[in-house]
Amino acid sequence: MSAAHLSCDVAVVGAGPAGLAAARAAAEAGARVVCLDAFATPGGQYAMQPTQAESPFAATAPVALGRAAARAAGEAGAQILCGAEVFWGACVPGGFCLSVNHAGRALAVEAKALVVAAGAMERPLPFPGWTLPGVIGAGAAQRLLKTGTGALPLPGKTVLAGSGPFLLAVAQSFAKAGQRLDHFVEMQRPLPADVAKVFARHPGKLAEAARLGLDLRRSGAARHVGHMVTRALGTDRLEAVEIAPLSASGQPVMGRAREIDGVGTLAIGYGFQPVIDLTTALDAAHDFHAALGGWHCRADADGRTTVAGLWAAGETLGIGGAVPAQLSGRIAGAGAARTLGFSAPDVTGATQALGNARAFASALAQLYPPPQGLPVALPEDELICRCEDVTAGDIATAIAEGAHESFAVKTWTRAGMGPCQGRICGAGIAAALAQAGVPADKASYNRAHLPLRPVPLPLVRAAMQAQTEMETRP
Amino acid sequence: MTTLPQSAEVIVVGGGIVGLSVALALAEAGAKPLLLEAKSFGGAVTGGSLAAIGTHMHGLAEYGVMAHACDLWRAFAERTGNPFEHTAQGQVGFILDAEGMESGEGWVAEERALGAPCRMLTPAGLAEVEPRLTGPVLGATFAPDTATVNPFLAARTVLAEARAAGAVALDHAPVAGLLVEAGRIAGVCMADGAEIRAGQVVLASGPWSQEISVSAGVCLPLVPRQAQCLAALRQPPGTIRRIVSAVESRGGVASGYTQIQQAGSGQILFNTVVDFIETPPEAKDTVREVPSGFVLTSIDTLATLFPSLAEIPLLRSWVRFEAVSPDARFLAGAVGPEGLWVCAGDNGSGYCRSLMLGRFLAGEIIGAALLPGALQADARALYAPQRFTQVAA
Repeated sequence: MSAAHLSCDVAVVGAGPAGLAAARAAAEAGARVVCLDAFATPGGQYAMQPTQAESPFAATAPVALGRAAARAAGEAGAQILCGAEVFWGACVPGGFCLSVNHAGRALAVEAKALVVAAGAMERPLPFPGWTLPGVIGAGAAQRLLKTGTGALPLPGKTVLAGSGPFLLAVAQSFAKAGQRLDHFVEMQRPLPADVAKVFARHPGKLAEAARLGLDLRRSGAARHVGHMVTRALGTDRLEAVEIAPLSASGQPVMGRAREIDGVGTLAIGYGFQPVIDLTTALDAAHDFHAALGGWHCRADADGRTTVAGLWAAGETLGIGGAVPAQLSGRIAGAGAARTLGFSAPDVTGATQALGNARAFASALAQLYPPPQGLPVALPEDELICRCEDVTAGDIATAIAEGAHESFAVKTWTRAGMGPCQGRICGAGIAAALAQAGVPADKASYNRAHLPLRPVPLPLVRAAMQAQTEMETRP
Repeated sequence: MTTLPQSAEVIVVGGGIVGLSVALALAEAGAKPLLLEAKSFGGAVTGGSLAAIGTHMHGLAEYGVMAHACDLWRAFAERTGNPFEHTAQGQVGFILDAEGMESGEGWVAEERALGAPCRMLTPAGLAEVEPRLTGPVLGATFAPDTATVNPFLAARTVLAEARAAGAVALDHAPVAGLLVEAGRIAGVCMADGAEIRAGQVVLASGPWSQEISVSAGVCLPLVPRQAQCLAALRQPPGTIRRIVSAVESRGGVASGYTQIQQAGSGQILFNTVVDFIETPPEAKDTVREVPSGFVLTSIDTLATLFPSLAEIPLLRSWVRFEAVSPDARFLAGAVGPEGLWVCAGDNGSGYCRSLMLGRFLAGEIIGAALLPGALQADARALYAPQRFTQVAA
């Protein structure tokens, strides 16, 4: 097998709101643009496109936004490739070489500049029973609701739990999909005065927030604010969920815990984390901010990272939502094109709007601070890494014996060495380190290596052959 | 994080398998070692090692000490309940051409003369020993006693045993230089400027030993060499039964090598280097990704030898740096100002020698023979750092 070859000025990784905006801005400036996304249609998580024509989501604003953004990028001349999973990126003379699994075929994309808009992924925090079938991420629930038939696959009551404004959006998706939501469990209980302060500063956001609140009330779900899930119960699959109110210090009051029985699906999310596999592999600098979802790629106001020719946009720069994603995408796309000599339009307006949009995101993050430690104490035998069967006890012992950073926990216990490459267990390991007193900047992150995702050897070989040619040609 | 002590009897610089083994042997001999690791224990070349424990194709000069080194690992596994997956799975050296056949037959004849249980395998014999190795091989060498250990868990066990014996070991405690007063070692200087006083200092920091030794006016003849490995997704147990390696030509590791094995986790670990590539000294602190050409040769070799594995998914890769001396043997012994010792120069196979070298060097430091019989003297002759300065003089 030899790799197909594409050459361009600007490659954009990710076709969500940020990536599509970057692709459009760079293409409008005259650059040849290739935009790659692992999913079957452009849109990303926020503007996810339904797969069925009669989907109740077909007429929603995010779906329309995704469609319009993809069309605009295409009309500007950007080539959008879906089903294209980037499994490696390397600096080569004159730019970058991306190794892509394009629907089972190897593709090498050569680009003079690279914009990474890889988006966010769930931040799963372990709790007792979290590996039972029926326990899923809040983001996964939203994907199930928005695509396919829109029905959750398991019968029984539904519980949506965790923390953050994203839960409200998922609750709205339940209603839109016609899927009953029985219980809504939000850990934080923001003070009304604090909420009022945020919207006084960002009045344009009030209507959307009010609609989300109203839709939650209309869903008929029992609301448990200031509560958390302390246990998922069941033998072979999820049967019941235990919830408890939180004390003033944020600890669950187990004396007042209660069980919700007959549960088929628990969708739970403690926020999102930036996808930084490609930017860490390319050796860009990263910073930690809890309110931005943890480790994120560092960039200047134009989206320029610490690696020459490498730009970042959207959630890769820190969790903020679709609005800052679109703006930062436009800024980075224009910046990448301008640096290559194209006359990109002025983005001063976008830069100012981005500041405002990020301020709103950061105010929301303060109302719903993502928990940094483990939400509930774990029994010794609770699995944290399900690929390699590593328990909470194994990890606690390793930390106690001298594994004082994420990398050491990985090498000492194998947690994160399996097929998920740490995507499912990474947040839990960081939380265990935080719990043991290792601050996030000391715990650091595990940088990604070849391959960013498991890929069949013949594809790796074909892509590396193409990379070698780019590295060695005169 | 624990605060640093102000002084220690002996300081061991480096918390890889070699430094940990030195600390263990010192602690067991009653010295009170303080081990300082710059990052995480076993996080550099130790963790990237394929950790083969055996004598096959390691050269005849070292055969006696290597055989004892293997015994020490066996005994250590027995004593500790083997929490580090010590498994004597055996080693196959595949042969692809007439030159390889001559090399393999040479190794086997010489090692058998010293009492090793290795032998030659015909293709039919190889099919029994390693059924899925169906590539075009002419035959193989077979060393049934070569073992592997899980490199992370073995380092963890040595650390735990060293601490139990009285060693203090600190991670994220980077040493920047050595203190020398009146011509002898007085301690170490930490990266943050703090000083820890000690009468004896052991450099066991692999390729970083050289730059630390410079502050004591010593130039260790060690250079870093890049080593790397690939791991493919977990396969059923027994997919690869032995350590599968290329029969080493008389040019040594530098003329190319292959090692393929299935880890305890089921993942397939494989690496092939065809041409020796010069490693620039700064690479050990800057290069973090496997070279594309290495990926090609490694995948091609795996697919040639094990055609049924040609399409399995790649999962991980890693790069590490090993320390190499001019004759590819360790430097272990006194060096430079009085009180300074070195134990580095693994040449990519330090795991096997580590427990033995730890005991040897601890013996030199406390003035007792901790290796049995003539082995202490043999090791002294083999590993003396002065062998290079003498050549120069």
